[in-house]
Amino acid sequence: MRLRARGIVPGRASGTAITSPAPFSFVGGVDLANGSILDDATGAAGERLEGRVFAFPTGKGSTVGSYVLYGLGKRGHGPAAIVNRRADAIVAVGATLAGIPMVDRVDVGGLLTGDRIVVDANRSSLELPDVKAQRVITAIVRNRGHILIVRRSQKVGTFRGRWSAISGHIEGREDPKHRAIVEVREETGLRAIVFRSAGEPVLARDGETMYIVHPFLFDAPSRRVRLDWENVEYRWIRPEELNHFETVPRLTDVVAAVLGPPA
Amino acid sequence: MRLTRAQRHLLDEGTHAQRKAMEILLTVGCLADAPRLVPITSAHVSGASYKMIGDPGLEFLEDFAQSARVSVPTTVNPLGTDLAQWQALGIPPEFAEKQARIARAYETMAVRPTFSCTPYLLGVRPASGEHVAWAESSAVCFANSVLGARTNREGGPAALAAAIVGATPEYGLHLDGGREPTVIVNVRTKPRGVDYSLIGLVAGERVGDGLPFFRGFRGTEEDLKWLGASLASSGACGMFHLEGVTPEARGARVKGLKSIAITRDDLIAAKRAHSDGTEADLIGLGSPQLSANELQTIARLIDRTPPRIPVWVFTSRIVRDANSEAVRLIERHGGRVLADTCLEVTLLEHRFGTVATPSGKGAYYLPSLCKQKVIFDDVATLLERYA
Repeated sequence: MRLRARGIVPGRASGTAITSPAPFSFVGGVDLANGSILDDATGAAGERLEGRVFAFPTGKGSTVGSYVLYGLGKRGHGPAAIVNRRADAIVAVGATLAGIPMVDRVDVGGLLTGDRIVVDANRSSLELPDVKAQRVITAIVRNRGHILIVRRSQKVGTFRGRWSAISGHIEGREDPKHRAIVEVREETGLRAIVFRSAGEPVLARDGETMYIVHPFLFDAPSRRVRLDWENVEYRWIRPEELNHFETVPRLTDVVAAVLGPPA
Repeated sequence: MRLTRAQRHLLDEGTHAQRKAMEILLTVGCLADAPRLVPITSAHVSGASYKMIGDPGLEFLEDFAQSARVSVPTTVNPLGTDLAQWQALGIPPEFAEKQARIARAYETMAVRPTFSCTPYLLGVRPASGEHVAWAESSAVCFANSVLGARTNREGGPAALAAAIVGATPEYGLHLDGGREPTVIVNVRTKPRGVDYSLIGLVAGERVGDGLPFFRGFRGTEEDLKWLGASLASSGACGMFHLEGVTPEARGARVKGLKSIAITRDDLIAAKRAHSDGTEADLIGLGSPQLSANELQTIARLIDRTPPRIPVWVFTSRIVRDANSEAVRLIERHGGRVLADTCLEVTLLEHRFGTVATPSGKGAYYLPSLCKQKVIFDDVATLLERYA
């Protein structure tokens, strides 16, 4: 599959991914002598950057990070490419000095350490040759500050028994918002729902499948839900209660994409 | 980004450093969605203290200096120690040697060896509306606010790249729209001395990366230097307006803006919040480096109430050399007048644990950059306390 990105430092490179869920500082985060990661928050301490595609949300910390990245590149210990959610000047300038291709505007939460990735900053894209894309909608249905979650039945194809919001596959060139409205009606029986907003797509992984989740927010006039065969149970919860449930991947981020980060 | 033919030529066929410089500007411009580069009349680069940039910075600068030459008048920030007095300060020889190599690398690139955070006190005074590329947050704030020149808060390598190319990405504070205030700050007390630093610290904390429009007080250029340096420390501000004082305050759009107030109580609270020391080992005066006028005033104060603990006074080499009488007076009472360096980028943590200072920027950065406890107060108060 291919993902759109924004080219920051030109070039094309491929490698196996190292992904960090946490922002990264090249000062203190990596050993300049051999390129091995020191920062435990990456979940990849001890791994070497050399030849890898390094994905992390954004840079942080001292401006000296630019020079460290330069030094890594000069010694041949730098990553093959850098992928960020939001590029910052320190990492971007360092990647420029080191000649390391870099892209941003990628939801790195959908990339897994070990993924084969081809980064093409010249064409503003990211290729994952081993991963298949599946576009889906997730509708967050809200009523007086509570959101609707449903538990998936044993009859559905994926994530059986997990808690989810209302979701469904997008077919072909179908309008995602239209699909969201259809799914809410089918799965909840709620009629007079009101569209509120759409969020930036969130990438959620299940093995070799990449779900490109289009989040939508609807307000429902009542809490009277009539489930269909896809779900067996429903609850109205406060968004911050989500972490008490075993959910489908990245549901918290999908909710945050339309409601903002949890308080 | 649209490039001129000359810029395209530098990118494709320039020296290694020219190509890299163009690439840096394209990267920075890309992040900011800048449509083009705007020509600059001067540059001021940061990243010169060995304490701050360490071996990675030294290595980059020495490599870069092999082919980099600046194309516009360029000044550079303070070093990590005074190159003429480092031995007397107990600086390790390895530190001084590497620091001297950084200084040489900049000189090789034809950067003026000012080693100062106050280029505007050394004759580099861009006119109103002139575009420049300055790093050093306090100088950026002064250039935009007091001089009416136009610069973003450049990073060290980006300012160096701009100096080599002679242009910088056009966005933010280079544009009329980026210089409009975002919040009105009513100051409800009459400031003097350290109050200007305090106003800056409090305002910076409250406005973040906004652009404050101050009302309710006046100040000299030197007062505004202290205010801007503090504002740019606690906040990500590159500019402020002061009604009736700064050149672009008249004509700034303030209608409909949110207002906040700063009272005497806020200043007292801020002074307390930034003072965690009990007994000072050193009085540090500077950050930004002192003007000639400030150096002379300090010399008179020290002569009147000589301190019993060490005093380090930071100024530029140029101001130090031109004010030998003030320097003599301070040294006669055991103080040191240090050039080429400044309060929180200098190596002082090898000898001191608590610094007393009237600098808001110093009070803000000394705990993190120098592992110091701080006593933050007016210079006259501090000198009397340690007389």
